[in-house]
Amino acid sequence: MTNALELHDITKTYGEGDNMITALASATLAVASDEMIALIGPSGSGKTTLLSIAGGLLSPSSGQVIVGGKDISHASPSELTEVRRSTVGFVFQSVNLVPFLTARENLLLVDELRGSRGKQSRDRADRLLDELGLAKRLNNLPSQLSGGERQRVAIGRALMNEPALVLFDEPTSALDTHLGEQVMELIQSEVKGRGTAAIIITHDRRMTHWCDRTVTILDGHLQTDELATAG
Amino acid sequence: MFLAIREIKRAKVRFTLLVLAIGLLVFLVLFQIGLRDGLIGQFIGALRHQSAPVLVFDAQARKNIEGSRISPDAQAALAQVDGVGRIGPLGESTFTVSNPVSRAKSVEKDRLIDAVLFGYEITGPAAGLGAPTTLTKGRLPTGPNEGVASDRNRSEGFDIGDVVRIEPGGVEITVVGLARDINYSVSPTVFVSWDTFQAARKVRNPDATVVFPSVMVVEPVAGVSDARLVTNLSTVSGVVPLTRADAVAQSPGVASVSQSLNTVIGLLVITALMVIGLFILILTVQKSSSLTLMRAIGAHRRTLALSLLAQASMVVFAGVIAGAIMMALISPALNTLGVSFSFSQLGVVGVGAMIVGWIGSLAAVLRVLRIEPINATLPPGMQR
Ligand SMILES: Nc1ncnc2c1ncn2[C@@H]1O[C@H](COP(=O)(O)OP(=O)(O)OP(=O)(O)O)[C@@H](O)[C@H]1O
Ligand SMILES: [Mg+2]
Repeated sequence: MTNALELHDITKTYGEGDNMITALASATLAVASDEMIALIGPSGSGKTTLLSIAGGLLSPSSGQVIVGGKDISHASPSELTEVRRSTVGFVFQSVNLVPFLTARENLLLVDELRGSRGKQSRDRADRLLDELGLAKRLNNLPSQLSGGERQRVAIGRALMNEPALVLFDEPTSALDTHLGEQVMELIQSEVKGRGTAAIIITHDRRMTHWCDRTVTILDGHLQTDELATAG
Repeated sequence: MFLAIREIKRAKVRFTLLVLAIGLLVFLVLFQIGLRDGLIGQFIGALRHQSAPVLVFDAQARKNIEGSRISPDAQAALAQVDGVGRIGPLGESTFTVSNPVSRAKSVEKDRLIDAVLFGYEITGPAAGLGAPTTLTKGRLPTGPNEGVASDRNRSEGFDIGDVVRIEPGGVEITVVGLARDINYSVSPTVFVSWDTFQAARKVRNPDATVVFPSVMVVEPVAGVSDARLVTNLSTVSGVVPLTRADAVAQSPGVASVSQSLNTVIGLLVITALMVIGLFILILTVQKSSSLTLMRAIGAHRRTLALSLLAQASMVVFAGVIAGAIMMALISPALNTLGVSFSFSQLGVVGVGAMIVGWIGSLAAVLRVLRIEPINATLPPGMQR
């Protein structure tokens, strides 16, 4: 099986000259097609930057990015949009839902953006929301949902396009420990149930046991000893 | 479409207000157009709705029929021009009149008002050239002392059967027909035979031996266009030939009326542009984090821009319908003002509003196009 993600010697810098910040330095990482990885590191260490590059939101300054077997290192903005739409699922740190769409519509939107709709989409959205324990909240707007429920809708939305790789940026940071555990458990069962790869950023070491492997990042450097176990 | 419709559904009050605002602007534009056409009709309907396709003015009259007199020499020269089929006189003059007989009770017998008479040939080779074309009731004059009056003034002593007397104490004209929109200079207007017109002029001016036509009305021979005929006629010196449409549009009063009302319409269009543009822009700015999210999860710029334009189109379309309903509800009350309302106007205004809506949305579209999907990764409150 091809890896869901391969990063080869990725460097990402922001700014120029004296103000240049190296957010990622020679990062190399492979994520197998059904592997769940926890990415931990202190604030500002480059976690979101790595996730953005893996998800086609950002182009690296140098290095090679292969997502779902496709080299996107030199993809055009429009090609990257296509990758995000078809290959990757995102749960962002902040805004994940469109406030004027119900839970169900937020999921349907994903298919709508692909130009497909109809019964198949509705069935998939309903099934996902049901799995996520939101069967009774389908028609609620985000403002009518609790933080945990919103996070679950976001997970459903990230899975809606049947991605090869799902990227979670601190999915539990806004939740208390108990809710966080619940959400991690859900993520694990959804991701594993689908045989999909995932990277989950977290600050919280206690959450890493849900994952197959933990990768640490410090000042833009991925920790090498853990890379050794990568496929 | 999905997004556009959902958002409208979730913000009904906002969008209803916008639709009503656009509706009001559409209504005002329709009203101004109706007023303009109504006023122009009252100023110059007589020329617009007479049968001759070409009119020849005295050059010194500056396209104003009131000051125009065509001399016998010019008449003879015009008749010789290539392409002239039929040519005849059209007289125009304002008279003081009374109403010895009137159906309307409010009209007293000795009341004096101003009325405009048009005289055209009802016999001979030029018979019917210059006759009103919008007869709504009765018939055209077939002999002396008969006339077709403007139906706008029927209740002012100009209904069928009413008698209009040229004062002091002269020719009496019986109204035998009514025609729509044949007023001249916002006065009651009666079309009579050329002979009757001449007789009326002699009442006012007993010493006159000949009455000159105000303009000559001309029809081209078959195969010659009106424009061609105008070109040929302009070789005659001392006259200005004009097609009927030009005679209407270039008439001094009409030009200033349409200019001022067109200015108002232009201001309304600018207002509409700003209302639609600002509203859509505000909506776009308000939902920029959602738009960023959508870009991040794979929405193409094009998709979001088209959705925005679809939304603007829906809103403008609803606004045009709302404006048309307002106009339709209110137009019976406006008919007396001469404000007219037609579906062809609505079509033009509707298409115009749609274009204004799209232009107005441009700022918002540009904003959508500039959205950076990477911003979706920024923490709350940090989104640019
Ligand atoms: N657009 C940018 N312009 C300049 N510097 C940036 C930009 N984005 C990120 N950085 C910098 O790059 C470094 C890595 O940022 P990143 O967001 O990847 O960190 P992070 O590990 O996700 O942190 P956190 O845990 O706080 O979310 C930081 O020093 C940050 O300030
Ligand atoms: Mg981050």
